[in-house]
Amino acid sequence: MLVSLNWLKGGLETDNITDDELVKLIGARLVEVEGVIDQTGKYDKIYVVQVKHCEAIEGTHLHLCKIDDAGKATDVERDEDGYVQVMCGAPNVHEGMLAAWIAPGAIVPQTFNTDEPFKIGMRKMLGKYDSYGMMAGADELDFGDDHSGIVELDPKWAKPGRTLSETFGNLDDKILDIENKSLTHRPDTFGILGFRREVAGILGQKHTTEDWYFEPEQNFENDSDIKLEIKIDEQLCPRYTAIVFESVAENKTPYLDFDATMLARSGMRPVNPIVDATNMVMLAFGQPLHAFDYDKFIKVGGTKTPKIIVRAAKKGEKLELLDGAVVELIPDDIIITSNDVPVALAGAMGGASTAIDENTKRVILESATFSLYNLRKTQMAHGIFSEAITRFTKGQPAGQTKAVALRFADKISHYLKPLALFDTQTEAPAPIEVDLTLSQLNGLLGTDFSGQDVKRILENVEFQVTLDDDKIRVVVPFWRTDIHIAEDIIEEVGRLSGFDNIAPILPLHATADPNEMFGLKATIRNHLSARGANEVLTYSFVHGDLMQKVGQKPDNAYKIVNSISPDLQYIRQSIVPSLLDKSYSNLRAGHARFALFEMNQVYPRDLGVDSDNVPQGSYELGFLFADHTENSNYYIVKKYLESLLSSLNIPFEISVFESTSTNSYYEPKRSATIKTADGTILGYIGEVQRRILRDFKLPAGVAAFELKLATILKAEQGVNTKDFRISDYPSVSRDLTLTVSADTEYAKIESAIREILGDFIYSLRPTSIYQAEGSETKNLSFHLEFASPDKTLTKEEIQGIMKKLEAIK
Amino acid sequence: MATIQELKNELKKLNAEYAKIKDLSADQRADFGKQINQKKQQLNAEIAAAEAAAEQEDIVPLDISAPCDINGELPQFLTADFGSKHPLMTELDRVIAIYQSMGFDIAESVQLDDEYHMFDSLNFAKGHPARDGYDTFRTEEGFIPPAHTSTMQNRVLKANAHKLAEGKAIAVAVPGRVYRNEDVDATHEHTFYQCEGVYVSEDCTLGNMLGILREFFEKYYGQKLNIKTQPGYFPFTEPSLEFLIEKPASLGGKGDGWLEMLGCGMIHPNVLKAAGIDPTKYQGFAWGGGIDRLVMLRYGLTDVRNFESAKLDFLKEFAC
Repeated sequence: MLVSLNWLKGGLETDNITDDELVKLIGARLVEVEGVIDQTGKYDKIYVVQVKHCEAIEGTHLHLCKIDDAGKATDVERDEDGYVQVMCGAPNVHEGMLAAWIAPGAIVPQTFNTDEPFKIGMRKMLGKYDSYGMMAGADELDFGDDHSGIVELDPKWAKPGRTLSETFGNLDDKILDIENKSLTHRPDTFGILGFRREVAGILGQKHTTEDWYFEPEQNFENDSDIKLEIKIDEQLCPRYTAIVFESVAENKTPYLDFDATMLARSGMRPVNPIVDATNMVMLAFGQPLHAFDYDKFIKVGGTKTPKIIVRAAKKGEKLELLDGAVVELIPDDIIITSNDVPVALAGAMGGASTAIDENTKRVILESATFSLYNLRKTQMAHGIFSEAITRFTKGQPAGQTKAVALRFADKISHYLKPLALFDTQTEAPAPIEVDLTLSQLNGLLGTDFSGQDVKRILENVEFQVTLDDDKIRVVVPFWRTDIHIAEDIIEEVGRLSGFDNIAPILPLHATADPNEMFGLKATIRNHLSARGANEVLTYSFVHGDLMQKVGQKPDNAYKIVNSISPDLQYIRQSIVPSLLDKSYSNLRAGHARFALFEMNQVYPRDLGVDSDNVPQGSYELGFLFADHTENSNYYIVKKYLESLLSSLNIPFEISVFESTSTNSYYEPKRSATIKTADGTILGYIGEVQRRILRDFKLPAGVAAFELKLATILKAEQGVNTKDFRISDYPSVSRDLTLTVSADTEYAKIESAIREILGDFIYSLRPTSIYQAEGSETKNLSFHLEFASPDKTLTKEEIQGIMKKLEAIK
Repeated sequence: MATIQELKNELKKLNAEYAKIKDLSADQRADFGKQINQKKQQLNAEIAAAEAAAEQEDIVPLDISAPCDINGELPQFLTADFGSKHPLMTELDRVIAIYQSMGFDIAESVQLDDEYHMFDSLNFAKGHPARDGYDTFRTEEGFIPPAHTSTMQNRVLKANAHKLAEGKAIAVAVPGRVYRNEDVDATHEHTFYQCEGVYVSEDCTLGNMLGILREFFEKYYGQKLNIKTQPGYFPFTEPSLEFLIEKPASLGGKGDGWLEMLGCGMIHPNVLKAAGIDPTKYQGFAWGGGIDRLVMLRYGLTDVRNFESAKLDFLKEFAC
C-alpha cells in the first residue's frame, strides 16, 4: 500500500517533527515501512500556462503556440508580449486553454527517480522553430497512462504562472511504501482516516473523528418512487448499503483534477469522475465502493425495480467480469445478483453486464462488507489482487458503510444526484467492552503505567476508558475489529507508548537439561569431519524418479500436492539417495575422492504416525564415499563406521544384510546390517548397486552407510568396550600370518585370536589379506602386541601362546 | 533359456525384417509396424532382464567383516584438512550452546506436521488469511512440512507444563528445518532453518523477553548492543513485535544500521489454553528467527542456494 505523507499529515500537528523522524516512529509503533519514495522536486519548474496563440503548421500534426507563464520561467526567449514559444503535437491543444508546461531545465516527472531522468530544454523543430520546454500529457506528468493529448486545467482555480505543485495543494510529497502483511489484522489502517488516527496516537495527540462518521446524516429525502430491495445472507455479507443516483452531468471531465494527482501517488490510475471518486473514498476510509448501471441492473434481472440478492455462488455458475474475463464461480465466492442473476463478484470485481458507461443515466452505489474468509478463497481461486479485495480481506468494519456512501454522494454531487438510500442495518450493534486491570497490564509488559497514562494513550485513538481503582473498562470503537481481549488492549498501550521504552530485564530461572540428540549429532559431526568427511545438507523433498532409480517405492513417501517442481514432489525416505544424487557433480567438479554425510529427519510412510497422529520421522545419518576409480569403497566406509561407533562406545556387529522398504539401493551380496550385540538394528552398510550407480553416472564401488540416530542414543552406552589398562611388564610384539581356506570369514579368525589373547593386555592390527591367484586359501596377517597384567612372560609362555595362535583355522 | 547373444541375434533379424515394410501397401504397413514393434519391445525387455541377471551373477560377495579387500590395501581416512562441518549446523550448534548457557532446554522441531500444530493450536482462526502468509506445502493427506518452528509451541508447552506446577519456568529453544513454497533465488530458499524460543512462568514480562533477546545477541556477537522493536502481527502472540539489533561491529556496524533479527511477542492466552496451561495463572513469551541469515551475515555470503547444494567447492571453504 502506498500512502501519501502529505495526505496523512493533514490535521496532525507535525511542526515539531521531521519527516524522517515521523517515518521512523511509524515504523517503530505502527507498521513496517518498506521504503519512502521521495517526490520532493518532482514537479519543480512546471507551470500552469495559458495558450495565447495556437497556429497549425501545414503538412504536420504540430501547432506553433505562444504561451503565457506570467513571466515565471527563466532561460527562455520571450516575444514582445512576454509569451514563450513552444511547439505542441497534441490534437487537443487550443487557444485559451490552460496547460501544464514543463519549462526548460525541468525533469519530465515520468522519468523522475528513474535511472535516466529526462531534462527538458530548448529544441529547434522543423529546422526553424525554437520550442521551449513542453506542454505535458497526463502520462508525462506521471498522473496516469493517458497519452491522447495534453492535460487541461480548470480555469476556475488554475492560474497561469502558478506552479503545478501549488495548484494541486503541494506535489512535493513523500510516499510511504507500507508492507501490507504487517497490517493483516488492522482493516482500519487501510484508509487515511485510520492510519492518521494511529499516527496521532503515536505522537501523543488526541484524534477526533468528525461526527458525520458516527452518525451519518442523509441530507436528501428518499424519492418515494425509487424502490430497491436488498436481500443478504449476514454470514456472507454483514451489511449492505446502497444509494440510487441519477446522472446530472456526463461522467467525464476535460480537466486534470486533484483526485488524479492523489490517485497516482497512491499507486492507482484515474479513470473517470465516478470511478475516481469511489477510489478516493476507498483510499480515505478503507471502504471499497462499487457502482452499477441501474438500468442495466434491472434489465439483467428482468425486474421493474432493482432486487439485489447477495448469496454464495453455485457450482457451474459463470460471470463475465469488468475486465472481460469470464470466471467460473466456486461455491465460496460471494456474488451480487440482480434478482438471482449474477452481476458482480463481491469484493473482487464488478461484472461486465452492469458496468457504467458514458450512457449511464442512473447508478446504484454499493457500500457493503463481506466475509473475509470467503473473499480470501475468491482471491486465491481467481487470482484477483485489486486494491478493493486487499482491503476487504482484512475485514472492513460494517459500522462505516452508510457514512462512507453518503460521503461519496457529497463528493460526486456535480455528476450524480442521490435519489434514495437503502441500508440493511437498522440498528448498530453494541460496542465491544474489554475489562482488564492496571496490574495485569503492567505485569505483562513489565511497566509502571498509571491509570491516567493508560486512559490518555487509549483515548488518543478514540477508545473510551473508565478507571475504577485497579480496574480498567475499555469501550472499543467499531473499527477496531481486531480487539477482543485484555491482551489486545495491553498491546495497544505498549505499542502506542513505544515498546522501546520498556526496560529489558533478564528473568531468573532454573538450569537447562542437555539435549542428547544434539549432543550426538555434534559428536558425529566433529568425528567425521576430523577424518576428512564433508557434512552436507540436501532438500527433504526429492523427485519421484530419484526414488525409483534407487528402488524405493514412491507409494511409501508422502507426496506434496503443491510442490514447486517435480524435483521436489516427495518427502524423502532416507538420506543416502540424496547423497548419491549430489556425488556426480562433485566428481565432475574435480573432487576425485570424497566422503559426504548428512544428519536429518526422514519420513518414510511405513513409519506410521505418532501419538499426535502426525507422521513419525526418524533421525538418520547418511554417509557416502565416492572416488573416480572402480575400486570398492566398502572397506573405507566400514573403517569410518567402526571408528565412529567405537568413539561413541557402542558395541556392534556387522551381520548379514537384511533388506527393508527403504534400503533397496545396497548390493545385497556386498552389504551388511549393523546391529547391537542384542540384535537391534542400528543401520546398514554396503556398496551401492552397480545398475543404480550407472544411472547416477557414478563409478562402481561407491559405498555408503546409514545409522538410525535415535536407536544409537538408546543403544547401551556407558559400558566401556575399550581396554585402558597399561601393563607394568614388557610387552611382546609379534607378527602373525594364518593361512585359512579362501571362504573363511575374517571375523571368525579375529575373534579366535581375541579369545586366545583375552587374558592379556593386548592390541591387534590386521596388516594384510593375501590370496594367490587360483589358490583356495588366503593368508591373513596381523600385528600383535600383548603383555601380562601381572608378570613378565617367559619365552616358553610366549611360544605357547604363538603356537595356539598359529593353530587357528 | 536363450542366451543374451541369441536374444541379440533375434533382435537383429527382427530389424532386418522391418525393412520389408516398404514392400507393403499403405494399409498393411500400420499393422505390420505395430507387430514388429511389439516383438522388439519384448525382446529388449528380455535382453535387459538377462543382462541384469548376468550382472548379478558376476557380482562376487565380499567378506563384510574383513578390514580390507583380498590383496587390497588397508583403507586410510581422508586427510583431516579435507573435512568440513556444514556452516548452518556449526551456527546452529553455537546458537544452541548460548541458549543452553542461558538455561534453555533444547527441543528440535519436526519436519512434517499437521494443520493443528502449524495453525490451529497457534490461534489462527480457521480459514483466516493470515494462514496464506506462510506459503505452506501440503501433502496429499493434508500434512504440512512446517513453515515455522512455532509449529512446536504446543508440544513444548504440553511437555513442560509440569515444570510450572513445580514452580519453575518453561524455557525452551526449538531449532529446526522449515519450508515455504517460494521460488528459489540468491536470497530465497524454500528450505531453511529457524530457532524458536518459548518462555512461560507466573510473572514473566515483555521486559524480560527483551532482556533475554538482548542477552542472547550480545553473547552471540560478543559485544553490548542497542536493540529496538517494531510492531508485528502474529496470531499466536499478543502483543507481537519485530526485534532488531544494532548492526554489530563484527559485521561492519558503526552504530548506525539496524538488523531485523526475529519476530516475538507475549504468548496469546489461547495458545496457552490449547496446551492446557491456565492463562490466568501463567504468562509467557515466544520468538522465532532465521539461522541461514545469521550465517550469511557472519561470513558475508551472498547466495543462500549454496547451503543445500552439497557442493564441495562451497563446503571446503568451511574446512576444519
